[in-house]
Amino acid sequence: MQISREDVIRFFEKTSDEMNANKDYLIELDANSGDGDLGLTMSKGFAAAKEKVLASDEKDLGKLFFAAGSALASAVPSTMGTLMGSGLLGAAKALKGRESLDAEGFAAFAQGYYDGAQKRGKANPGERTLLDSLKPAADAAKAAAEAGCDDAKEIARKAYEAACAGVEATKDMAPVYGKAFVHREKLHGVPDQGAIAGSLVYKAWTEAL
Amino acid sequence: MQRLLNKPEDYVDEMLKGIYAAYPDSVKYVNDDLRCYCTAKKKEGKVGIMTGGGSGHLPLFLGFVGDGMLDGCAIGGVFQSPSAEQIANVTREIDSGAGVLYVYGNYTGDIMNFEMAEELVDFDDIKCLHVKGCDDVASSDKGDEDKRRGVAGIYFVFKCAGAAADAMLPLEEVARIAQKANDSVRTFGVALSPCIIPENGKANFSVKEGEMELGMGIHGEPGIEVCPVKTADETVDYMLGRILKDLEAAEGDEVAVLMNGLGATPLEELYIMYRRVHEVLTGKGIKVYFAKLGEFATSMDMIGASISVMKLDEELKKYLSTPADTPFIHQNAI
Repeated sequence: MQISREDVIRFFEKTSDEMNANKDYLIELDANSGDGDLGLTMSKGFAAAKEKVLASDEKDLGKLFFAAGSALASAVPSTMGTLMGSGLLGAAKALKGRESLDAEGFAAFAQGYYDGAQKRGKANPGERTLLDSLKPAADAAKAAAEAGCDDAKEIARKAYEAACAGVEATKDMAPVYGKAFVHREKLHGVPDQGAIAGSLVYKAWTEAL
Repeated sequence: MQRLLNKPEDYVDEMLKGIYAAYPDSVKYVNDDLRCYCTAKKKEGKVGIMTGGGSGHLPLFLGFVGDGMLDGCAIGGVFQSPSAEQIANVTREIDSGAGVLYVYGNYTGDIMNFEMAEELVDFDDIKCLHVKGCDDVASSDKGDEDKRRGVAGIYFVFKCAGAAADAMLPLEEVARIAQKANDSVRTFGVALSPCIIPENGKANFSVKEGEMELGMGIHGEPGIEVCPVKTADETVDYMLGRILKDLEAAEGDEVAVLMNGLGATPLEELYIMYRRVHEVLTGKGIKVYFAKLGEFATSMDMIGASISVMKLDEELKKYLSTPADTPFIHQNAI
């Protein structure tokens, strides 16, 4: 399998579409335990990333992800905007010098995305954040690559399924950070909106490939 | 909502254009970005002091850029962090080789963007250190001071950091003094109304008529307790009680006091409150070294006030007492 530059561009188009399609859902969840602007920041941020990528002729995928991450972080410097931007920058670091991705490359993307967001926010899995979908996705991608999976669509699907299971698990997690912590009483049984946004990144991969 | 606005989405940028038009000799912006706010009177060789944060709190944050205080400020939308790129641009402008100290409120978005900015300017070989304002007693228990939010008390941290930098001390020493100032100040705020976000014309939290919230944050973060509105004296007694207990201030101590309006509280009421603050402190044998009253950290049109108390020693007194002059505040030498 090879994920080409064209696939990556399509990934950015699909992420932007997904964030747009889920805008109201994310706003509704976020209004309950945050500032209520998550849907807006995600659709605006990933639109900026898409525009940047579409305007670029960069062949190095690391540099392409770097441009996308910087554009996203500058467009929406909110907490989640910065974390998502840092995820893309983390992926950029992991993919530097590659012009296409094999299974191991996809796993490197997933791990880099997780590492970037984790390092910036300093949270850990299990604390009801974005990381609770990014981490299972990264683990699933790595496991699939190591098991010799050579179908790009299949590996993306496995990562997405793991991300969704991660979202589901946040329903029982107690928040540790920010406004979610303040509103922790009423969040039991409700999925974390940050984790959902993270899973949409992988949904976009399944659609792009 | 009755407001003097043009287009709500232009709120921040039009406010900035007004400030640059009013004070062209004092401040300027860089990188063609109104939100990269810098002093127009850069002092070579000095450690740069910068802050940044969301709009909606004037004179915080940019109002303290000026002689004896800060050199630059990155400005975000209402209640939003500025971007890492904006912070980095201001950093590059104000650095003159001695490094830059970041002093900002302890909020997730701001922390991440300042840390990201530090990584960006690392490529330019600019050394940065961070001091995060965390003076709000109501936002976390004693022992968890590093989880507290930064509110009006950061004014004292700015003042001490600015004075230390002006004394041409090296970056590590300026950071030590700023951190010491931060560790010595406590704030408690009360709100009697929410504030309206201009972009959507709505309050994103509520305070009922006839009630007040004790310990509410400057973005409407929930406080400790909601109660019927108390008298000024009862309110001050409660606030000071919280502060002094946390600060472990006792007879013989010397303090500085900042009596801050949250945006829609008349100065008269601040003086009525301060009267009681002074009475309580002196009654306990705590000496007030100096007091400042007015608006330092607001929440647009919120009704309410905060009290900040800083416990002093000779070193902090030295840095608090030097003159400062910005478009928004003026202090003579004490």
